[in-house]
Amino acid sequence: MSGPSRTSSPASDPSQSNRLHPLSAMVISLRTGVIGLSLPFFFVGILSGVFDLIDITWSVTLAPVGLVLGVAYGIAYYYRFGYALTDDTVDVGSGVFSRRAREIPYRRIQNVDVRQSVFHRLFDLATLSIETAGGGATEAQLNFVSEPEARRLQQEIRRRTRAVKTRRQAGTPPSSSRARSEATDQGTTRSPTPDADAVAASTETEPVDGERDPSRREFDPERAETDDQPERADESMVGPQQPLEGEFTLEDAETGLGTETELEPDPFEEDSPSLLFDLQAKELLLYSLTTIRAAAFAGLLALVFFFTDQAIAILLATAEPFGGPEDLTTGTSTSYLVLGIVSAVNAVIVTYLVSVTYTFATYYDFRLGRAAEDFVYERGLLQRYSGSIPSEKVQSVTITDNPVQRAIGYAGMWVETAGYGPDSGSGSTSAVPLAEDRRVHRFAENLTGVETPKFDSPPSLARRRYLARYSIVATGLLVAAYVFSTLVGVQYWYLAALAYLAVPPAAHLRYVNLGYYVGRDHLVIRRGFWKRRTTIIPYYRIQTISNRRSIFQRRLGLTSVVVDTASSQTFLWTTPTVYDLNLEDGRQVARVSRRRLQDALAERRRDDESGPSFSVDFT
Amino acid sequence: MESLHPRIRLVWIAQWILTAAVIGVVIAAVDQWLVTIPTPAIVGIVAFALLAGVAYAILLYGRWHFELEEDALYLERGVITFVETAVPFVRVQHVDTQFGPLERALGLSSVVVYTAGSRNADVRVPGLTPDRARALQDTLRELAVESEADDAV
Repeated sequence: MSGPSRTSSPASDPSQSNRLHPLSAMVISLRTGVIGLSLPFFFVGILSGVFDLIDITWSVTLAPVGLVLGVAYGIAYYYRFGYALTDDTVDVGSGVFSRRAREIPYRRIQNVDVRQSVFHRLFDLATLSIETAGGGATEAQLNFVSEPEARRLQQEIRRRTRAVKTRRQAGTPPSSSRARSEATDQGTTRSPTPDADAVAASTETEPVDGERDPSRREFDPERAETDDQPERADESMVGPQQPLEGEFTLEDAETGLGTETELEPDPFEEDSPSLLFDLQAKELLLYSLTTIRAAAFAGLLALVFFFTDQAIAILLATAEPFGGPEDLTTGTSTSYLVLGIVSAVNAVIVTYLVSVTYTFATYYDFRLGRAAEDFVYERGLLQRYSGSIPSEKVQSVTITDNPVQRAIGYAGMWVETAGYGPDSGSGSTSAVPLAEDRRVHRFAENLTGVETPKFDSPPSLARRRYLARYSIVATGLLVAAYVFSTLVGVQYWYLAALAYLAVPPAAHLRYVNLGYYVGRDHLVIRRGFWKRRTTIIPYYRIQTISNRRSIFQRRLGLTSVVVDTASSQTFLWTTPTVYDLNLEDGRQVARVSRRRLQDALAERRRDDESGPSFSVDFT
Repeated sequence: MESLHPRIRLVWIAQWILTAAVIGVVIAAVDQWLVTIPTPAIVGIVAFALLAGVAYAILLYGRWHFELEEDALYLERGVITFVETAVPFVRVQHVDTQFGPLERALGLSSVVVYTAGSRNADVRVPGLTPDRARALQDTLRELAVESEADDAV
């Protein structure tokens, strides 16, 4: 599809729908083959235990059948999986027995990620994921295509999203207005999911009977014909590397694409993206050394679970020079104590090392750039990630720092979207992993257009509240220590009372790190000590705003203002909240935010979408 | 400020009676198979759950108010934690009317307002007569369409 003739879109012509990389057929059928092979053992094993009629030896004869069926399913899956880019949507058709044709409108796409594991990098392959707002999972995943194809798709989606937007602004929006009415219609009839808008965005058609020709039924040709705007000649659709007949072979990848993206394709050299930020070696090292990841501890626990004996042997070996026991059965209480302390130190050190290595490998060679109105980023040592985020999809911007980073004057910056990014399963994407805090604050101010915030503090009553709260925690600790000591017979349980010493500084540190700023176009919220977050929320992005007062807060006349945006957060990234304001102040914050949201909307209507927004060129 | 229909208290109390019954059955099962629990204790726990539930339902009814303001749907609710929420009309994705079996039996209905937010993304106004629920749904839909902007997601 290299010419300007645009009588049929890829969606209406099944031969234009692309397949995954041929190697993925092998990987998929290998996986389904193994499943098919193992299923007979599993079921016959169970059934033979229940029914005498069934003999366990059947599994041996059934297993090859399962293998063949599994491989056949895998191959069928490969041949029945197709994707195509149309003018308005990304179309993905999949499924062997029940078909699913999914169309994702460009304007709903939050981010497009390309992931390359070590295996992928060896064979020049990549997995591409498309995220829209809401929904628990990735909307479309191409697992996997050739690496140049992934790059091409990423760029092509960006370009077409822009084209759709230009068309809409030019005032010829029949297709997009149709998409909107369709979304609202579906929204009202659909299941009561909170993110039904986004769900509606990825229109699913009814599963089509599996016996019919897959390629014919994949996409609705009529839709494409009635819907498409006359294509301009400059929109040469897919570019020279578009494979003919939808077949994409390794040779194509080597010959057809080699000229444009030789070996090390670089998103910052195509589509004229300009580099905004790259992580220097010093910053990468500092970031790795100052970041502790809870996931590292979890990973370590999993390892210990599977290799318990080896882990115990290592722990015993490290503790022995310090007076630890020779093995777990012979030992005095002192040697056990030594073992306990040494093992704890051991665990901390190993966790830290794992965490440092993980961060280093993940953020190695991090680069952030801009391509037109989108952010593009790339990172990773063994496993490469690259992604693109449309700047208009950014919901809020957060500056993070921990005590060590604050001490050396560094901070990081994250942007939040409504989709699920590759980081921590939430919509947060690291835009600047770590840089000097002055720079990061300047970046954030340029990006959001917020004035330098002058933070207000909650009333000092709040500190009293934390004092009381942490005292309760310390008391709980003391009681637990007492109960434990009476059960096990350890002395010195009252040493747990030392926890009370930590209460005043803890309450103070929590209090002094709280701050909020009601700006002209933005609300800025700072909170947290160990992982301090300063979140900048444009009023325009507010979804709901609430004042919450617990029974304890009411006694002190305090309130917490919860500002909800559409960014998808996990339990790690709680909803931005201004904690413990005086009730009147909290209500005032809510009132002002509501009013400024309306002002921002009015401004945007007047200026036709050029109101307050994020600026891509923030460095 | 508009209050809910008084009959919603019956719905909530009925829900609590069901909960108390389930608690009673669970405790009775524990008593039967695991540890012996004195009968007065079982009766006491169930009675407490019932009383607490009834008190909670009555207090919650007194606390529940909502209002259609100029730019937003405003709600106040909560017994342990007081919550005041504003849902700007522009942020309304869609509006449902729903009713559970209990509500239906007592001739009540709920309106559920969905936003694209992450937390508290769906806001439920319970205890409305079916007519009021439909009227509220229509009003909200009109207001949402009227104030429609780009949906900012």
